[in-house]
Amino acid sequence: MKALLTKAFADLKRRRLQTAVVLLIVLLASGTATLALTLIQQTSDPYDRAFEAQRGAHLQVYFDASRVSREQVAATGDLIGASATGGPFPLSGIHLERGTQKLEANTQVQGRDQPGGQVAQLRLVAGRWASGPGEMVLTRSFADLYKVSLGDVVADVAVASKPALRVVGEAVDMGAGSADLSTNTFWVTEAQFPALSTGHPDWWVGYRFPGHPDDATLSRALDRLKAAFPSGAVDGSVNYLLFRTLFGITNSILTNTLLAFSVFALGASVAIVVNMVSGIVLAAYREVGVLKALGCTPVQVVAIFTFQMLMPALVGAIVGAALGTLIAQPLLQQSSHALGLPPDTTLSVLPDLVAVVVGLLLVAVAAALPALRAGRLSPSRALAMGTAPAHTGGSRVRRLLGTRTPRSLALGFGEAFARPVRAGLTVLAVLVGVATVVFALGARQSLDKVQAANTQQGSAQVLVQREQGYPDASVTATLAAEPDTARVVAVALNAVTIVGYSQPVSTQGFRGDATKLGYLVISGRWFQKPGEALAPKALLDDAHLHIGDTVAATAGGRSTPLTIVGESYSVSNFGHSLFVDLPTLQSLAPGQNPIYYYVVLRPGADMSAYIRRVSATAPDFLTVKSTNEQPIGPVQIIDSVTAVLAVVLVVIAAAGLFNTVLLSTRERLRDTAILKALGMTPGQVVAMVIATALALGVIGGILGVPAGVAIFRALITALNVSTGNDVPQQTLEVFTPLQLLAVPVLGLVVAALAAFLPGRWSARTPVVQVLRSE
Amino acid sequence: MSALVELREATRVYNGGSARAALDGVTLEIGLGELTAIMGPSGSGKSTLLNLVAGLDRPSSGRVVVDGADLTNMSEAALARFRRQRIGFVFQFFNLLPSLTVRENVLVPAQLAGMPAGKAEARSRELLDRLGIAETAGRFPSRLSGGQQQRVAMARALINSPALVLADEPTGALDSATGVQVMELLTELHREGQAILLVTHDAKLATRHAERVVSLFDGKVFDDSRLSRSGAAAGDLVRVVGQEVQR
Amino acid sequence: MLGLLAEEPLHGYEVKSRFERMLGGTWEVNIGQVYATLQRLERDGLIEASGARGDRNKLAYRATEAGRREFEDWLAYPDQEPQQLREGIYLKLLLASRTGDGSLDALLTGQRRVCLQRLRDLAALEEQAQRDGRDDLVLLFKGASFHVEADLRWVDACLDELARRQTDRRTGGDAP
Repeated sequence: MKALLTKAFADLKRRRLQTAVVLLIVLLASGTATLALTLIQQTSDPYDRAFEAQRGAHLQVYFDASRVSREQVAATGDLIGASATGGPFPLSGIHLERGTQKLEANTQVQGRDQPGGQVAQLRLVAGRWASGPGEMVLTRSFADLYKVSLGDVVADVAVASKPALRVVGEAVDMGAGSADLSTNTFWVTEAQFPALSTGHPDWWVGYRFPGHPDDATLSRALDRLKAAFPSGAVDGSVNYLLFRTLFGITNSILTNTLLAFSVFALGASVAIVVNMVSGIVLAAYREVGVLKALGCTPVQVVAIFTFQMLMPALVGAIVGAALGTLIAQPLLQQSSHALGLPPDTTLSVLPDLVAVVVGLLLVAVAAALPALRAGRLSPSRALAMGTAPAHTGGSRVRRLLGTRTPRSLALGFGEAFARPVRAGLTVLAVLVGVATVVFALGARQSLDKVQAANTQQGSAQVLVQREQGYPDASVTATLAAEPDTARVVAVALNAVTIVGYSQPVSTQGFRGDATKLGYLVISGRWFQKPGEALAPKALLDDAHLHIGDTVAATAGGRSTPLTIVGESYSVSNFGHSLFVDLPTLQSLAPGQNPIYYYVVLRPGADMSAYIRRVSATAPDFLTVKSTNEQPIGPVQIIDSVTAVLAVVLVVIAAAGLFNTVLLSTRERLRDTAILKALGMTPGQVVAMVIATALALGVIGGILGVPAGVAIFRALITALNVSTGNDVPQQTLEVFTPLQLLAVPVLGLVVAALAAFLPGRWSARTPVVQVLRSE
Repeated sequence: MSALVELREATRVYNGGSARAALDGVTLEIGLGELTAIMGPSGSGKSTLLNLVAGLDRPSSGRVVVDGADLTNMSEAALARFRRQRIGFVFQFFNLLPSLTVRENVLVPAQLAGMPAGKAEARSRELLDRLGIAETAGRFPSRLSGGQQQRVAMARALINSPALVLADEPTGALDSATGVQVMELLTELHREGQAILLVTHDAKLATRHAERVVSLFDGKVFDDSRLSRSGAAAGDLVRVVGQEVQR
Repeated sequence: MLGLLAEEPLHGYEVKSRFERMLGGTWEVNIGQVYATLQRLERDGLIEASGARGDRNKLAYRATEAGRREFEDWLAYPDQEPQQLREGIYLKLLLASRTGDGSLDALLTGQRRVCLQRLRDLAALEEQAQRDGRDDLVLLFKGASFHVEADLRWVDACLDELARRQTDRRTGGDAP
């Protein structure tokens, strides 16, 4: 045993390059696997975990404070069978300004003395809770959106005295969506609240129920509350299922992306490790012969080789797993940040363990199998063979290439296929790398398109929001007067009920040509006259409607028929919305004028100056901002995760190519020496080695592009379906031919670079010593 | 320059000169069309000499000129080009490329030199015919006997019509009968005017075929003799001595 | 001679010519020696006169039964005589090393040259014998070549040894 160990260690020291390569590749593979597994594990059900951790409120109810007292509200928990109650906390609408900048219209202030409690705990992620007058805490989501930092001072302009508040803390609120999509809450102490209230405060109460209540349970609870108090006492409610589903979508985007990448990464890593390890053992047949001649049994031979591979693999796996976990942390932070969740600091060791154990098993098997094969040869055969017999399949390739190709290239290409299994595994690794890059490229562009479709930021540069009280005509006139205005599309909003769907549907009425605003029409067409409407797939399915159908729409007692002329792409309310023209909306809700104005500027216009000018015409009533200010969090996280994993996979693929070429050149030492003697210049030798890498790279690239496109399409389709939409063709057809060509070309460049060093080493083979021996 | 190979004070040291020089100030000239044998025990410097003449190595000092080309300071690439155009190799262990067929093996130097495909094919066919191995053209070297492999090697050596053929122990891996055949082929080539440098430790081989034997010892030229066809009679050479038979 | 006479009865001069031809010129005997030996063999009872009279009225001899047996014994008997070394070169070597001057180098070089030329000539003779169909002579010349080779190797060994002694003297001898 000791002799075996001694020998194994001595071999490791001798073959330093090989040991280093094994270590590095296992490190990369293990790191990638750990990263992937960690991300998957921790992003599955993040919302539920955070929700439970923060004891989130299943049901939030707003009671009109003028109709019910605090005590009455506080007792409602038992009434509806809630297991815990949070609050009641006073709540009021608020308008905040920082200097001259208006901060959103959907804001409310809540008096709350401490972030903890039985229900709906708030998690502080920066600073501290408000402790006295003039201090306030806001949500992290809001702080990100408007770039508000600790120490900033804002004023509440809804109250005459415009009290100033200093931001002392940032918290994550599980009871709200992200800042751009929902109402934003700010917290001050209860004592401070009256000074900020606009005079129509509500009581906010949060209820928790045993287990996971469904929609029916929560509706019943809400009904009971309404019945217990005079009409109008319940001012509004929110149930947690809405947010859960919202998170579910963004989470599924993330999870699916990560899953796809992780599968890639693991596949590539496995291929490379197996390839490399078996290749090393295959090259050592002669050594096996020596060992056997010295009296080692086949088992001992297997043990020696397996040990040789496992030693560096163990170090690489452990270091890699640690690195993977480390790298996962900032990505996890970003992920929970993007999801609006509090940061998850639990470090799970399970992914690391799995990665290390599985990795080592792989290495052991990959080493043991060829070692076993070698171990069973008779010593004389092993000695004579030197290395495992090579396939002469290369000759077919050379014949195909004909005599016109330069000899060095032809020899290199042929060599690439001399060992089919090794070639196959290497092609697989390259394929994965190329597919990942294609996928990353496509995902990024597709998500950009989705973002544009939902925020119009690609088409219209400026968004003007009008407060009630300022006439629509004035806004239109102001905008028309601006020379930089190229086009304005105004949007009015109202809730409309259609036959076949019980919930009111958010409806946008457009004035102006909305077709160029980036909205995606999946099938059919945009509306052209009053009475025509578009709806996304989810609504169409739920209401059993098709393009061409007519349905009755009602709002506020009025009714009008709507003809569905097209299927739109919209993620709001998971695909439940309607697009109509303004006259149609106004026929259902007269006096409902546009409150959003999308402005397309003339090319070369100065956007900030424009914003300032328009805002100055009615600063109290108009909020003018650039459409770029509305990031969608998940897109960023997907970009960063994609980028990291793509880079890692490309490195792994390159390392795999490098290793294959290295092994190949070592096996061909003698042949290279002969060729050099016969007059192959060093340049030709390098070309020959690079040709080997290129041959494998070309095939991997050619196969990788459609693979990447296929997986990309599958993911985007799944994504869109989960948001209640059909897949718009535009989000699938994001690749220009140039891009699809550039990726494999880049791959070839990487392959050539990977092969360059082994090529140079090969060109320096000493000739005569090699040729004079058997 | 009438000499084909010219070495002037050629020296080659390894390991920074602390060890003994592998080749020590050798001055030697070999003329066109000669069959010269380089003899010597192992360590005498004959492989080093072969390397220098073949352009596989550069001298540490002195000059090496082969077929008009000064190899002393040539770059690797230039040496490679020189080798493929002017030198043909015949090695002891054949050194054919196992993954190429016989035909492809013979063609390698021509293809490296950029000879047009048609011309190269024709020439290789001619050589294979001449050496009596035309029927092996499509086979792989592992399926050939030692003698056939060496003949393939010779065809490969000749395809670019080299100025000099370097034969390094060409019969070392062959049985005596096959060895004789191979040497006969070499001698035939010599008769047709091919210059051959034969490196060997086997004195019988050297003296049998070469008209000039250069003996190396300790990196220096120890002896340089032209051997004549003296036509000596058996009696001048051999005397069988009788013995008393004790009864 | 006994062997030849065991084959068939021969006259004295026939024995000489046949013997010489067999040895391909490597051993010339004079006729007197032949007759003296014939007499001795007859005296020892190994050959006898065969009766026929040929040219010059000389007797033909043939081997007796005893002679045949003796011949066969001799054939079967391996050679156990001490190795014969040609005296010239060995004596020169032994004596020259006593005087210790450089002339030994020149001597060995010269001897080497002789060996090489001899090898070449023997090769030519071997080829000729091959062409003449004399396989037995081919073996003889081969044997001679091997001996010459052995001499050559011995000369090389001497050279090696001398070189070693020189370097020893140089490194071991004079102090810097």
